[in-house]
Amino acid sequence: MRAAALIVALALASCDSSPEIVFKDASLTLPDDPVDLPEGPGRDAVIENCTACHSPSTMLQQPKVSAEKWESIVGKMKKLYKAPVDDAAVPAIVDYMVHVQSLPEAKP
Amino acid sequence: MSGTRLTRRALIAGAGATALAAPALASFGAKLGGMIDLALPGGPSLRPTTPAFPGKGEMIVQRIRPPLLETPMEVFREGIITPNDRMFVRWNWPMPTEVKAAEHRVAVGGAVKNAVSLTLDEVAAAGETVEVVAINQCAGNGRGLSEPRVTGTQWGNGAMGCAKWTGVRLKDVLAKAGLGAGAKRVRFTGLDVPLTDGAPQFIKSLPMDMAMRDDVLVAWAMNDEPLPILHGFPLRIVVPGWFSTYWVKMLSTVEVLTGEDDSYYVADSYRIPAQPITPDAKDFPTVPITAMPPRAFITSHTTGDTVALGKPLTLEGIAMGGDAALERVDLVGKGWEIPCDLGPDEGGPYAFRRWSVKLPQVAGDFADIGVRAKNVNGAVQPETLAWNPSGYARNVIERITLRAQ
Repeated sequence: MRAAALIVALALASCDSSPEIVFKDASLTLPDDPVDLPEGPGRDAVIENCTACHSPSTMLQQPKVSAEKWESIVGKMKKLYKAPVDDAAVPAIVDYMVHVQSLPEAKP
Repeated sequence: MSGTRLTRRALIAGAGATALAAPALASFGAKLGGMIDLALPGGPSLRPTTPAFPGKGEMIVQRIRPPLLETPMEVFREGIITPNDRMFVRWNWPMPTEVKAAEHRVAVGGAVKNAVSLTLDEVAAAGETVEVVAINQCAGNGRGLSEPRVTGTQWGNGAMGCAKWTGVRLKDVLAKAGLGAGAKRVRFTGLDVPLTDGAPQFIKSLPMDMAMRDDVLVAWAMNDEPLPILHGFPLRIVVPGWFSTYWVKMLSTVEVLTGEDDSYYVADSYRIPAQPITPDAKDFPTVPITAMPPRAFITSHTTGDTVALGKPLTLEGIAMGGDAALERVDLVGKGWEIPCDLGPDEGGPYAFRRWSVKLPQVAGDFADIGVRAKNVNGAVQPETLAWNPSGYARNVIERITLRAQ
């Protein structure tokens, strides 16, 4: 019964006549990510293999997880999302993520 | 950063933050705007805020590219409708930054009688124009508050918003092609495409009973304005009561399926455990995340606020029923609960609704109080988080502590 009542209510909200919809072209310019990745071991490997898809800001916002978890995340990016990550670079990427997650966070 | 629209929760001027530790994110704040603390357990909890995205006001930056922008909770104090410039933004893959209206087509094909390619004007004329007020909420809203924490976009609770959507019924667009025999699901594709060859495109499908609903739309307007690019210009799917993963943006293809959808974002992703699990569980059955559960939020106060001892206190906020109308909201503490007054039904069953409760006298601190919503189907917010490894569908009672002074 409730479902029927809702449909009636929605029908009442419909307009009686066709509106004047005019579709215009749309465009926008998106801002760049102003963040530089902090210095650390493996930074170059991350820049070469990860930043084409991931803003540095995103990488620095993840909760602290283990090296094994970072390795599985990089594996997922390769296998599932077909990221062209160099296998030889994976240990350096993992090391870097563990390193940046060990840095203190700014506090108000 | 002029000081307009600043949040009162732990907002730091960017200039001050640069002198502190963690130089990367702090300098991000300095370059973009301010910083906000989302109170994510264990951190990192600070996020930059910026008005730098076209058409957007001050938004919390979860990701620059492709954009993930969160709505500050203060916006929800202002009413049940979320203004377009404060609505959260979420893209799985990069979207085009330019769309020519005259060149855009929506292909309707698959298991149909006659496949068609429709112009925007043809879509708009496919049936009567319908308006629906509905909450658009990311499946991962509140993921960053999960304990234990899970990876993914670390949203606070601001990956949600409520708007008036205007469009035509999806079923009227489908009728332009005519459903073929055995139609079982309807799948949508947008103009956003993966950066890497072979990666799964963000395509999503609805079961036929949902697709044919009278309130499921192909929408072109949001709060009486054309959809901004960041929200899916020129057309997006609107599914009132279901999470926004189904609300495909920049709609370009509508495909009728005769079987189950084995595409990645339906078959392998956006899924939740079929039964409650513990964080150490492995290899459990899953189901697609679909309908939204009820939620409620206190917007008049945030945790740590001071209230006047011995004086009356009014708490206010918003609530939602999810996939059914809101029935009631209760203020709950340890061993007590007080019914809240619901505000007027301003937007219908799929909209936010205001609530308020007046307490005659503050007798002491309020520790871990929250509001609990229940919908007309009997769904009610749980005391404890239904933890899942993707942090989906959070609807545990959100609690705050107020100090009496």
